[in-house]
Amino acid sequence: MAKTFHLDIIASDHPFYSGDCETLVFPGLDGEFGILPNHEEMVTCVNEGEIRFKVDGEWRYAAVSTGFIEVISNKVILLSDTVERPEDIDANRAEEAKQRALERLRQKQSIAEYYQTQAALNRAMSRLKVTKKHN
Amino acid sequence: MATMNKIQSRMKSVKDIMKITNAMYLISSSKMKKARKSLVATEPYFDKLLSTINDILLRAPHMHQIFFERREEIPYAKRKRGYLVVTADKGLAGAYNHNVIRLAEEEMKKGTNNYLFVIGQVGRHYFFRKNVMIDGEFLYTAQNPTLYRAREIAESLIHLFKEKQLDEVYVIYTDMVTPMKPEPKVLRVLPLERKKLERRAHNIHHAHFYPSPEQVMDGLVPNYIKGLIFGVLIEAYCSEQYSRMVAMEAATNSAKDMIKELKLLYNRARQSAITQEISEIVSGASGLKH
Repeated sequence: MAKTFHLDIIASDHPFYSGDCETLVFPGLDGEFGILPNHEEMVTCVNEGEIRFKVDGEWRYAAVSTGFIEVISNKVILLSDTVERPEDIDANRAEEAKQRALERLRQKQSIAEYYQTQAALNRAMSRLKVTKKHN
Repeated sequence: MATMNKIQSRMKSVKDIMKITNAMYLISSSKMKKARKSLVATEPYFDKLLSTINDILLRAPHMHQIFFERREEIPYAKRKRGYLVVTADKGLAGAYNHNVIRLAEEEMKKGTNNYLFVIGQVGRHYFFRKNVMIDGEFLYTAQNPTLYRAREIAESLIHLFKEKQLDEVYVIYTDMVTPMKPEPKVLRVLPLERKKLERRAHNIHHAHFYPSPEQVMDGLVPNYIKGLIFGVLIEAYCSEQYSRMVAMEAATNSAKDMIKELKLLYNRARQSAITQEISEIVSGASGLKH
C-alpha cells in the first residue's frame, strides 16, 4: 500500500473528488507542479490545463480552469471554477468557444476585454487538449 | 339582496386573486426546486472556499499587496464603501426584499461615501426613489446566476478597489442558513485581513506561498471573490424563490379562509332573505284570510 494523502477537488458547480490519493500533478503558475504525501504546508494558484492524480495505482485525468490549491497537514484542497472529466467535455462546444475567442482577439479591444478573451481562449484550449489526449 | 350581491362579488374577487397567488406558488416552487439543486451543488464549494480562505489568511506572512491595503490614513466616516446588494427582480416575496434593503440602509449609516451596486430591479427602484447614489451601469439580473456574471461583477469591483475609488467592499445578501431559513447577511470582501493574533494564539506557522505570497494573492484573490459572488448569487436566488413560495402559500391559504368566511356570510344572508320572504308571504296570506 502506497503512502497517500487526502485530496478534495471541488468545482464551483459540484464536488469532483474526495478521497485518498498518491500523487497529484497540476498546472501551476510557472509549469507543472507535483504533490506527494507529506508535502510541506503550501498555498499556490492553479492555471487552466490538465490535472492528473493517482488513486490505487491508477492515473485519473481532468481539465481544470483557474483556481487555487492549499496543502495543510497532509490534506490537499483544490478549488477551481470548473473541473471536468475528459469524457464529459463537449469537444464541439470547446472548439466553438476557441474560434469565438480567436475571432474576438483579432478585433480592437480594451485591455480588460483582451484579458477576458485570452482567459476564455485558454479555457477552451485546455479543454480541447484534454479531450484530444484521452478520447 | 344588496348585501348578497356584494358578498358574491367580493367572493369572486378573492377567488381571482387566489388563482394568481396559487399560480405564483406553483411557479416559484418549481423554480425553487431548480434553485435548490444548484445550491446543493454549489454549497460545498462555497463553504470550502470560505473556510480555505480563512485558513490561508491565518497562515499568510506579511506582504505588501493591494488586496490587503487597509488605507488607514482615511478617516472612518470618509471611507468610500461599496455595497453589493442582492435583491430580487420582482416583489411579492414576503419580507425578502424588505429585509435586505433594511440591512443595507443600516450598514450605510456608517459613513457618507456610499456606493451602491444593486442586483435586482426591486432594490434598484427602491434606492432610486430614495435618491441614493447607485451605479447606473451596473445592470445585472438576479435570476439564474451564472459563473460568467459573477466573473464580470467581481472584475468590476476589484477594478474599483484597485483604482482607489472604493476603500471597502461589502456584500449584502440573503443566506439560506438552514434549508428552511433565509437570513440577510453582510460579508466583507475587501480589503482582506491577515489573522495575525489568531495565528499566534494557536501557534500556527506560516505556510509556504509559491512562487511568492504576492504572486499567489494576485491570482488567488480575484478567483476567491468571483467564487464568493457566485455563491452569494446562488444563495440569494434560492432564498428569493423560497420566500416567494412561502409568501404565496400563505396568501393562498388566507384567501381560502376568506372564501370560507364569505361563503358562511353569504349563506346566512341567503337564509335570512328566504326566511323574510316566507314570513312576508305568510303574513300576506293571513292578512287576506281575515
